[in-house]
Amino acid sequence: MGVLCLSLGLLQAQAQFSDVEVKAAYLSHFGEYMSLSADVSGTKPASFDICVVGDDPIGPALAHIAVDEQLGGRPVRILLNKNAADARSCSIAYISASEGTRTERDLAALAGDDALTVSDAPAFLEHGGMIQFVLQENRVRFLVNLDAVYRTHVRLSAFLLRVAAMVRGKSQPGVAP
Amino acid sequence: MQGTTNTQQLKNLSLEQLGNVEVTTEFKEPTQVWNTPAAIYVLTGDDIRRSGVTSVPDALRLVPGVNVERVNGSRNWAVGIRGFGDQFSKYVLVLIDGRSIYTPLFGGVYWMIDNVMLEDIDRIEVIRGPGGTIWGEDAVNGVINIITKSSQETKGVLLSSGGGNVDQNTESLRWGGGSGNWNFRANMFGFVRSPEFHIDGQRPYDWSRLGQVGFRADRKVGHDEIQLSGDAYWGKFGDAQSISTYTPPALFISYAPTDASGGNLRGMWRRDLGNHSNLYLQGYWAHDHRIGSNFGEDRDVFDMDFLHRLPDSRWHQFSYGAGIRVSPSLLTQTVPTDKFVPASKTDAVYSGFVQDELRLAPGKFSLTIGSKFGHNVYTGFDYQPNGRLLWTPTPKQSLWASVSRAVRIPDRVDDDIQVDAFFENLPPPVFARITGNTNLRAERLVSYEEGYRTLIHPKLYLSIAGFHNDYHDLIAQGAGVISAVGAPFPNPSLLVTFQYTNGIHGNTDGVEIAPDWQPVNWWRIRAAYSYLHIHLADQNGFTDTTTLTTLHGSSPNSQVSLFSQIDLPGKVQLDQTFRFVGALPAQTVKAYITGDARAGWSPNKSWSFSAVGQNLLQPHHAEFNIDPSPMVLIKRGIYAKIVWTR
Repeated sequence: MGVLCLSLGLLQAQAQFSDVEVKAAYLSHFGEYMSLSADVSGTKPASFDICVVGDDPIGPALAHIAVDEQLGGRPVRILLNKNAADARSCSIAYISASEGTRTERDLAALAGDDALTVSDAPAFLEHGGMIQFVLQENRVRFLVNLDAVYRTHVRLSAFLLRVAAMVRGKSQPGVAP
Repeated sequence: MQGTTNTQQLKNLSLEQLGNVEVTTEFKEPTQVWNTPAAIYVLTGDDIRRSGVTSVPDALRLVPGVNVERVNGSRNWAVGIRGFGDQFSKYVLVLIDGRSIYTPLFGGVYWMIDNVMLEDIDRIEVIRGPGGTIWGEDAVNGVINIITKSSQETKGVLLSSGGGNVDQNTESLRWGGGSGNWNFRANMFGFVRSPEFHIDGQRPYDWSRLGQVGFRADRKVGHDEIQLSGDAYWGKFGDAQSISTYTPPALFISYAPTDASGGNLRGMWRRDLGNHSNLYLQGYWAHDHRIGSNFGEDRDVFDMDFLHRLPDSRWHQFSYGAGIRVSPSLLTQTVPTDKFVPASKTDAVYSGFVQDELRLAPGKFSLTIGSKFGHNVYTGFDYQPNGRLLWTPTPKQSLWASVSRAVRIPDRVDDDIQVDAFFENLPPPVFARITGNTNLRAERLVSYEEGYRTLIHPKLYLSIAGFHNDYHDLIAQGAGVISAVGAPFPNPSLLVTFQYTNGIHGNTDGVEIAPDWQPVNWWRIRAAYSYLHIHLADQNGFTDTTTLTTLHGSSPNSQVSLFSQIDLPGKVQLDQTFRFVGALPAQTVKAYITGDARAGWSPNKSWSFSAVGQNLLQPHHAEFNIDPSPMVLIKRGIYAKIVWTR
């Protein structure tokens, strides 16, 4: 039985991951490459919250992959099925593509707060989102809209920007290392 | 097989490594297709690139319900949706970024001069069936909407160079950049194309060449979006036309080429008012000049369109709009026997529409009702109501049905043409005259359509559409009326006059089935089967059968296409298309099967190489017949292309 599983596993070795799992893995890493600029006011929240706005399969994948994680001494929490308004205090707000035409409204609700907005919805960057997942040749990559990032106190590491498939918008000095 | 251990493995990968993991995706048809209560098909820019086609009409061969026939190397394509394709492509509305490329001259589309750089195309949306409510009098059998990429998406440099035996030379250059809130691009492209296949003794006259430059600029700030674009083109097309002379009474073939040039400027503004409400305003000016052996035309089009979508309420969303199109034209007479009376005319079309989308069960059931109203200089006032129902019982299925009325207003050929052709010398010499009719009514259609879309399986999507179209007052060539004539005809002569009349009614029925299957990650197959049955008859005491026979026998009964895309390791792509097109008895064209193949290799982000073979299964085959005979056959071709981007 074990041998059968193994050989099937080898046959499927080409593509055993779904795009959803890879996106969840990215999200769980983004926290390591983001920070808040020095002029931010208020105290840091007790936990690093990754919130999912809308109903999305990435929720369960995230809950799975980010279990028992810690980031800079703070526990990572995954909060699902949030409204955009409730996601304002999150560190990362993942906006489900199923939000469709509500996406712009969701982003408007999050404007001015320091949440990194991420989605795989088409034209997410055009609507003002910060990071958009895209599929290129069956691989999940991400695009960054720096103009949207710099409207908040969120700062992205140069390393993250280098790995991005495309970075759009003006870059400013003082990006965190 | 995907258990806990696999996902945990992903956690240990770096960002860079994550970007290299190959994934499987659940099949997703773009939502705009899913929620549209109409028979819509989308060809993406990538589909077009991988099909290896070198022109938009060639790309349309893959769309269910669309008939495309290449007449020869330099003349217009015959494109029809659900039948009635002819060399004018009359019953189809074609838009490029919202700008209609319909010409009021023959009420159709000049594919040869309205070119878009293929690398700029984001997608082509084809809606089969009357799109009357928003788009206008010309969208009788369908709408083809060509949408180009925004300037944001075309930054950097792109250089494409290709050549082969038929598409002898195709070059494109594009540069895009941005500054502040503006993004823009400029492009230029051109092609030289060889004649198609001619039987021994026929001059290979149908070569063509064209050069075009263009630009586009986009600005998106806050709730406002602005687009500006423009193109200018110059083309020369080899041609052969049968031309008659009065004295001596004779028919000869002129091989004078056609010169065409022109351009357009377009501006669009859209403001998002929140809550799904928006305002849209677009204006454009187009100028086209052409001169050939049998006539010349100079035409300007001034068009403004306005659309306002009111805020969404839970139960409904209302939108309305208005448009004006004014088109002055001057027809130049180049030979005594062909003319338009009057030579100079200005067409003006005023239109407005209202539409309400009612959400009877939000998310599940919606009813859209609306109507377009128009006024034009040929037939006065008309109305085109339409109702559409959409039902989404489960997230993986949707059903829709619609009833619409559409009209096609007569064009300058229908109304004002006068062409004399020498027929034979009995004696005395006999001439035939085709003449327009200023008393024509608009052609009418009532269309009943239905469709079903389902995701049978994450890797298999199926869409089916059926229709029954009732036509009335189709314009036909009337019976010949014999008379004696004076000057400029030789004395004595006989003239047989055929006048256009609203003479035909009847219906067409059909079904289109299009599966989309991805059996493995690296292989995608799309197929399209189209069936069409035409049943027309003369109406109102009209007895001539010339046009009736032509209409019955110029659209294929059935058509099948297959598009396979294979991604091989090493960034290699192998793509093939096959098509079967049924016979066109009125055009003396037999049924044929042929296919194209493309091999592409993109070693890195900057370079891409491809080799394409077209019409491979025969050395040449016939697609459509036009005057003068003999028929030109479409030949087998291959070309290679290199693309460099930065």
